[in-house]
Amino acid sequence: MKAHFGPAQSGAYSLSRLTSKHKATSKRAEKVVLEMQDPATGVKLQPQRLVITTIPHAITGEDIVQICLFYSEARSFGSMLVALGYIYPIQDHKRLVVKPDASLYRFQTPYFWPTQQWPVEDTDYAIYLAKRNIRKKGILELHEQEQYNRLHKWMNHKWDFIVMQAKEQYRAAKERKKPDRVVFDCQERAYWVVHRPPVRTHTGMFPSLQKTFMIFTQQSIMRPRVKSSVSIGALVKYCATYKGHDPFLSKCLPSNPWLTDDVTYWALNMPNVEIPTKMRVERWTFSFGELLSDPRGRDDFRLFLKKEFSGENLAFWEGCEDLKWGTAATMKEKAEQIYKTFLARGAPRWINIDGKTMEITVKGLKHPHRYVLDAAQTHIYMLMKKVSKHVSSDSQLEQNARNRRPSLSPIIIRQQEQEQKAKMAASAPVDITQLCRFTTPVPHLAVYSGITDPPSANASPSLPFLAHTPACPSPISVALDSTSASERRAEASEGESEGNPEARASAGGNVSKSRVALSLRRLLKRGCTPSSMFASLSPKCNSAAGTSSRIQPITPDEPSQAPPRRIGNFFQIKVDIPPECRIYPIESEDEDEENRAISRERLGTKEIICPWESLTPQNGTG
Amino acid sequence: FNLIMGKEECKTMLDALNKVTACYRHLVIALGSTSDSQNLREELKKTRKKAQELAVANRTKLTSLLKDKTISKEDRAEYERLWVLFSSCMELLEVDMKRSLEIAQDFPLKVPTRHLIQTGMTGSTTTVAARAMSVQNMKYEADSNIDTADLRDLQAEITQVSQMMEEMEMKVQVMKVQVAPWAVEAKQEAGAELKSNMSVGNSSVGSREAGFASICAVIGFFVIVIVALVLGYLVVNM
Repeated sequence: MKAHFGPAQSGAYSLSRLTSKHKATSKRAEKVVLEMQDPATGVKLQPQRLVITTIPHAITGEDIVQICLFYSEARSFGSMLVALGYIYPIQDHKRLVVKPDASLYRFQTPYFWPTQQWPVEDTDYAIYLAKRNIRKKGILELHEQEQYNRLHKWMNHKWDFIVMQAKEQYRAAKERKKPDRVVFDCQERAYWVVHRPPVRTHTGMFPSLQKTFMIFTQQSIMRPRVKSSVSIGALVKYCATYKGHDPFLSKCLPSNPWLTDDVTYWALNMPNVEIPTKMRVERWTFSFGELLSDPRGRDDFRLFLKKEFSGENLAFWEGCEDLKWGTAATMKEKAEQIYKTFLARGAPRWINIDGKTMEITVKGLKHPHRYVLDAAQTHIYMLMKKVSKHVSSDSQLEQNARNRRPSLSPIIIRQQEQEQKAKMAASAPVDITQLCRFTTPVPHLAVYSGITDPPSANASPSLPFLAHTPACPSPISVALDSTSASERRAEASEGESEGNPEARASAGGNVSKSRVALSLRRLLKRGCTPSSMFASLSPKCNSAAGTSSRIQPITPDEPSQAPPRRIGNFFQIKVDIPPECRIYPIESEDEDEENRAISRERLGTKEIICPWESLTPQNGTG
Repeated sequence: FNLIMGKEECKTMLDALNKVTACYRHLVIALGSTSDSQNLREELKKTRKKAQELAVANRTKLTSLLKDKTISKEDRAEYERLWVLFSSCMELLEVDMKRSLEIAQDFPLKVPTRHLIQTGMTGSTTTVAARAMSVQNMKYEADSNIDTADLRDLQAEITQVSQMMEEMEMKVQVMKVQVAPWAVEAKQEAGAELKSNMSVGNSSVGSREAGFASICAVIGFFVIVIVALVLGYLVVNM
């Protein structure tokens, strides 16, 4: 059985399964081998006659087959014994199979039995090769020579020891009598044929184990590695972010049910509760994944996307999840269903993914499996993630303004939640947020300089950046038209710094429609790659990438240079910036870097010194 | 002078440890097979004890040498090389001791129906043990229940060895001796084992001494030839 993980994981998984199976078979094999030693009921032994010497305890292939029939099913058991290394062939030592004729085999000594707990060491192999080198006076077989050279390179620091030990072992072996020496040589050779086979060794069993192991180790080497400073930084960030949300580490309101036996907390946080708690909403701001994994958040997001006529993205994503986690029997139908609904040309809920991904997906659908839609799903996920970042909510800003310490009484929370409910009933439930500290947009840039050529080389080149054409009736143009003085006022006064509730209240009093427009406008003013937005929001308007736009850009195209990367500045940005500064979302994602770079350049002569502008570009992963 | 003596002493002890390790491995390989016997168990026990004595001696010597801060850079490199040799030997010894415990437990001797694996090996290992112990003949004086009684000792010794190895690691760190095993450069190149070494010591670089020995042989040869010619001349002239 092959589990459908990614290749490295599947290698590891099947490896572990095979090794545990291996272990059980080894135990059984050992038992049988022991029983075979019984002079009365065991296998018949005969001497092997060499030129001068005679060596006892040889078995013929026929006898092996016979005795194996006695102990278990058929010849496969005998072949298994040989493949594992409990019995070795004397004559054709490279082919680990049982030939049911007079060819001779011998039992392997317990030291050379395959065991899980004693991994086969390269040092031992190097010593063996050195010994062989001595014995054969420098003439090794091809694969042995290759291995020798390889080990000499990789174990160079130990090479003195290897040579020393090889010489001593060689001399110690000579102390024994001739027949025993011959037997020992055969034993050792057989051991290494099993554990370091020359590539074309014919084994009766378990070729997949070695192959899986090889794939696994090759992929482990290729796996990207992260500096511990980076990963520890990420861990610290995670802990700091989630610390307040852990009911055991900090107070949870109204009370921790485990302590007070009051289940209000659970009731308030039911998966499909109508009004999500503040803490829950805050959690959604941590990452897009949080938003999606919370059913309530996902509902909100779904409604939002519905408003923007791009609900099929989320539906597709959900379909993919369903496929991944569903039963194997239903997989084929599900995949077909998804194809018909989302991917086929002229499908009712066609999603917008780029040509290459579509090609790969369609090809994969010929032989559908659990992860056939992975590429497309990731694509859509990234798209939705971008969308979620650029939409802010007013209710969230209000909450930001207020005191967020957990000592708030439940009454205030209830009040807030009721307000939230009212707002949500009135407006699009846009709870998707980001922590925006600086919320004053520059008023004069209400002229939409945001629609320019997309800096195509940046961010995700795989996403199609299609410019908005005038012919396309987009909801955003509708929003643009409804520029109202009140909006501008609201924008100007909104959230200068924290603790400005009047502005918030007035902002909160806005009409629902303009709020959507407000948020979308803010999106545009940030100079994000608007076409990606458009692409996701207006999937029907897939026109060729052109430079036409309704509104003249203020500044020419941006050079596609990599903006300075700031990793982990999340907590370093201070609040003390001039109010004219623009809204900068505090995310440590790189997609926003380009936006900031663009918007900064648009500010032009404004000469706003934002704290992060003095940072020098960093390169790479630090 | 003291330092040179120390180095030579170290190398000799290391060679001895190496030899004992190699012989011990041969003995363990015979365990559980038809070569197994009371005597083998006793041989294993004696070899083990010898190995441990040598290990302790080596360790003390090497750590005292490495602790010395006044040694030169080349000397330090040499000691680090010896340290790598020593720790590799100990690793091998530890593994073999653990394996011998395992196999000895699986193949007790004093049972009514003992099933030793019929591997084709039937001879005794006494010569190997004698080589390990550096004696001419082995003397056997153990009790008949050595196969079980010894196991407890063996377990204790394994723990001792593991502890010693851990200590070695720690000590090396505590002394702020940066022994980076991978940084040690082997003195022997590939195929070095093919060179016959007339010298006893393996841990020293054999090539110099081998060269010297071969020069001796050549000179000896010529001397003999000259003597033969002279004699022949005399005989002819008689």
